[in-house]
Amino acid sequence: MVRSINEAVLRLSPIAIVLVVWQAAASFHWVDTAFLPAPAAVARALGDLLSGHEIRDNLFVTLFRALAGLFLATLSGVWFGIGMARSWVFNAIVSPVVGATYSLPKTAIVPLLILWVGIGNAMGILAVYLTCLLPIIVQTYHGVCATPAVAVWSAQSLGADRRKILWQIFLPYALPDIFTGVRIALGFSFVVAISAEMIASTTGIGRLIFMYGENGSYDYMFAAVASVVIAAFLADRALLYVSARCLRWHESHAASEIGAFG
Amino acid sequence: MTSKITVRAVSKTYNSDAGEVLALQGTDLEVKQGEFVSLVGPSGCGKSTLLYIVGGFLAANGTVLIDDKIVDGPGVDRGIVFQEYALFPWLTVRRNILYGPRLQNLPAKQCDEIANRLIDVIGLRNFENRYPRELSGGMKQRVAIARMLAGDPTILLLDEPFGALDALTRETMQDELLRIWLEMRKTVLMVTHDVNEAVYLSNRICVMSARPGRIVEEFPVNLDRNGTREAIVLSDEYNRVRNKVWLAVRQQAATQTTRA
Repeated sequence: MVRSINEAVLRLSPIAIVLVVWQAAASFHWVDTAFLPAPAAVARALGDLLSGHEIRDNLFVTLFRALAGLFLATLSGVWFGIGMARSWVFNAIVSPVVGATYSLPKTAIVPLLILWVGIGNAMGILAVYLTCLLPIIVQTYHGVCATPAVAVWSAQSLGADRRKILWQIFLPYALPDIFTGVRIALGFSFVVAISAEMIASTTGIGRLIFMYGENGSYDYMFAAVASVVIAAFLADRALLYVSARCLRWHESHAASEIGAFG
Repeated sequence: MTSKITVRAVSKTYNSDAGEVLALQGTDLEVKQGEFVSLVGPSGCGKSTLLYIVGGFLAANGTVLIDDKIVDGPGVDRGIVFQEYALFPWLTVRRNILYGPRLQNLPAKQCDEIANRLIDVIGLRNFENRYPRELSGGMKQRVAIARMLAGDPTILLLDEPFGALDALTRETMQDELLRIWLEMRKTVLMVTHDVNEAVYLSNRICVMSARPGRIVEEFPVNLDRNGTREAIVLSDEYNRVRNKVWLAVRQQAATQTTRA
């Protein structure tokens, strides 16, 4: 009990220190508050924004784009990864494309996507989808390849056919890696959804941040950023919770990741 | 009496970074129905490879017959246990054991009976809903054996099944395996590097040469397995066979060293 209270204090301390230094910097005029508004001013702006529709509506638009893209990328990325791991023909065709586009910043092709699908939800979702696809493919591929032959042989000797092996052996074995891929992709999904909105969009929290920045309303801009930070944090928590539930059987569960990286 | 397992002129080549490696060359083996045969030999002699070929997991040149039918892949007639257990970590003990019966769409009632019986056989009544990561090595190997038996195979293939266990647990597990075999009289082909284990359990021991492996010597073992472990291990026959097999394996290992 004492330890958990101490731990909670320790975990909150860096955030508290940043806020105190930040507030002090503003209060003692170490910096120009026109460019770095005080946390108190940001909190006021956040309160103001939350009482209206502006943040909520735009945040939901961004969340929708980020999560829809992530969801579609998970569905197809897992199949690409399994296909690459299980078929050398498929791997020979797909892996050069994956290799060539893996480190490409997907925001660089946003102008191209605008040309193809226009601005709006489709463009945002597509940009997020393309970004999230690659880490999920790579992690799934790794998980399937790392499945021990003895596990597959055991299942075969108990009567599992190819289909059953895929669903009941390779997929569960790859599940911890798939969750790792989805968690990496979740981080990217917010980055890309917001960047795409900053490049070209009429809605979304990215456009809102950009607009406040252009207007010089930095307290409101910080408030919008804070709302994204909170939403992204909660989304990551939710994913960790789901993965911990699904991976109760896994070795990592004993050294619960929530404790290690929470 | 016809053979349960027939291996005729089987050769196997592996591709490795250092080029082609000949693992087995012209291997012959016959195992009769209900017989317990052990394969021993220097490490790297291809004894596990031979077991995997009989299991249908690896393809090879030559002929492998089970009940006079050609083996062209794994089958439910051959159950297998590996040294590294190979349990399905996302399934509980009970569901690991039921993996085979469920694949065969046996009715739920029959599945329950199989699970309950085997959980009692391996003595893990209080652990049936645990995941493998919560079990000790000996417990995991018991589950692996139960999972194999639940598939009701006619042949048991054992790949150094107790190699990863401590000495005391290993003896307990050997006794359990012996009891199961005496009760069910399945045909067993076991790979081991432990000569004592081979003599204690088998009817016949096949000694393999260093790579490329083939069976070079066979030793029949005529022991009354209904006695206690002490009576068996201290008997003259046990020690006579053990010394002969031990010498034969050493000779094969020495050939390997000289050649290398």
